[in-house]
Amino acid sequence: MSDVAISVENISKRYLIGDTSSGSIREALAGFFSNRGSQKTEEFWALKDISFEVKRGEAIGIIGKNGAGKSTLLKVLSRITEPTTGRIAIDGRVSSLLEVGTGFHPELTGRENVFLNGTILGMSRTEVKAKFDEIVDFSGVEKFLDTPVKRYSSGMKVRLAFAVAAHLEPEILIIDEVLAVGDAEFQKKCLGKMEDVTGEGRTVLFVSHNMAAVKALCSRAILIKQGQVVTAGEIESVIASYLRSDNSKAAHTTSGLYDLRKREKTDSKVGHLIVEELRLLNSEGKITDTFLMGEQLKLIISMAGFSSFKGANVGVIFKTLSDQWITSFTTKMKPLITDETRDFHEDITLTIPRLPFTAGEAFIDISISQPGVGRLDHVERAARIRIEGNDVYESGTLVDRYFGLVYIDGEWGVERTYSVQ
Amino acid sequence: MPKTIIDANKSILSLDLKELFQYKDLFYTLSYRDFRVRYAQTFLGFFWAFIQPFMTLVVFALVFSRGLQLDTGDVPYVLFASCGLAAWTYFSTVMSQAGISIVGAQEMVQKVYFPRLVIPLSKAMVGLIDFGIALLVILGVMIFYRFPPSPNIIFFPIFVGLAIVASLGVGVWLSALTIRFRDLHNIVPFLVRFGMFLTPVAYPSSLLLDRIPEWALIVYYLNPIAGIIDGFRWSILGTAPPNTMAYISFGVVILLFISSLFYFKKVERTIADIV
Repeated sequence: MSDVAISVENISKRYLIGDTSSGSIREALAGFFSNRGSQKTEEFWALKDISFEVKRGEAIGIIGKNGAGKSTLLKVLSRITEPTTGRIAIDGRVSSLLEVGTGFHPELTGRENVFLNGTILGMSRTEVKAKFDEIVDFSGVEKFLDTPVKRYSSGMKVRLAFAVAAHLEPEILIIDEVLAVGDAEFQKKCLGKMEDVTGEGRTVLFVSHNMAAVKALCSRAILIKQGQVVTAGEIESVIASYLRSDNSKAAHTTSGLYDLRKREKTDSKVGHLIVEELRLLNSEGKITDTFLMGEQLKLIISMAGFSSFKGANVGVIFKTLSDQWITSFTTKMKPLITDETRDFHEDITLTIPRLPFTAGEAFIDISISQPGVGRLDHVERAARIRIEGNDVYESGTLVDRYFGLVYIDGEWGVERTYSVQ
Repeated sequence: MPKTIIDANKSILSLDLKELFQYKDLFYTLSYRDFRVRYAQTFLGFFWAFIQPFMTLVVFALVFSRGLQLDTGDVPYVLFASCGLAAWTYFSTVMSQAGISIVGAQEMVQKVYFPRLVIPLSKAMVGLIDFGIALLVILGVMIFYRFPPSPNIIFFPIFVGLAIVASLGVGVWLSALTIRFRDLHNIVPFLVRFGMFLTPVAYPSSLLLDRIPEWALIVYYLNPIAGIIDGFRWSILGTAPPNTMAYISFGVVILLFISSLFYFKKVERTIADIV
């Protein structure tokens, strides 16, 4: 037995855009009888010449942006669709989870659906029977086992579905972003279960947008872009290059770069706008609106004639999407030494060395005021940023919004133990 | 340890029946699901399985026996027609349900791998429940008329087997074709409605034997279920054995079934992309 569990050789998958093959008989006949090139189909290569190997017991993450071909690759690996060219050898029993609750029928009871879903996923009835109690226990819906699933809440349905999936015991597990379902508490439970799975020496292929989850589960990753492998290797470096590639795109679409001159006039006392532009930079100095928890965030605020206002303060406010203040910064904390040459345009910067926000999104407001005069300029929702969850305590636990809006450093310890005697 | 090879250039000539057999539990669960769903929340439940054939029998008796004075020899007309109806109902139900089964299961097909053939094949089971009820009706009618079964009854299981194979042969073909040609959604109900009159359901096939030319008779027996219905009547009621033409029908059944498996296998690889 070799130590390679999955070996993928030169896999390509072509789709024909505007394919008429799922059409009607009339179209098929028309196509058959006429030779005028009516087949205006365009080729699209969803995957191009992908090759990689996964060793036995290894957990590997597949990352890439939407439309990069991750899902197609999973579909090919799970035999849902066939590759156009290439060859894959999989050594071991495979289960793939591209969705939880496939085949669930609303008219059937929870119990019946467990059997239905289990057998669809490739378990035998005996296997389902053997694990039935465990599955029910994990799902926490034992009271409603004999109720038709159509009467379940969507959360209950997901729990039951995931419980079945979590009890598959394949040697190789292929998982799509199924974690994006359910409430936060249940997501944790699932992530924990998956870590158990990887801990048991199972081979896992995991696709996700959640970098923290990928990092927590996988030791290696493959980055896919436009159907091709960009990099493959150790997890940290692949994630880093993913974030970099994300940023290079951001620069084109100006996310992370906000031109604030074109906004409507605000309630400024001086009658003209001061804040002209806002740029957000990550630790690598790239302009972006997406940051990893604990990463450096640098704001560059370009202003017109700021220093001409004696003693003026700049305020930066971070808010949740529901306008709840998370925290704010003001130059009152540390007055800026402004240039007396009164350049008309100047940049002031705010650097947050370790962004302490948990995963989610936030708005940034910018406010300029002068003592005795009042508000000079105020930009509400100047930027909207995304914070990616991260294992900031390096404990294998994903710290996300479930833990609150911010995280702060803290140290656990045991000072004294009492023996029970 | 099982080894899976996914190769873009693999031969389509292997049916991989071994793998199909490994998924037999899925076959049972899917059949059970269809059965449960069919009678879920119906007030009369199983009773529906009696009512439909019963009403059809009443109409047949009025039109063919009373109205057209159709002669069915020693066999009471209702008994004669019920044998034909049982076979036809099974055939048409399984064929049409298997036909739309893949399109109906597209969500499943796009998310999980399993031999897709399980889906249409599983439709043969649900039909058997209604078929069993139809046989009970026939038994009731036989008791009513004090009509003893023919000794040929020992051959009856063979014809039941042929009926299953015939329904699946057509059903699997339809399911594979429906993926590409949704037109079949409209054509199949039409075929079922008219097919009943092109099949010896309400009248004996002997009626046609000396009335239509031989070529027409050959065309008539290209109908896969025609010969089987003759066989049903011969084995249960002891009427005339299936004529030589009926063997055309049996041949068609076997041919359809085997070819359907290969055609399905060919289409299977692209199902998720085009369904």
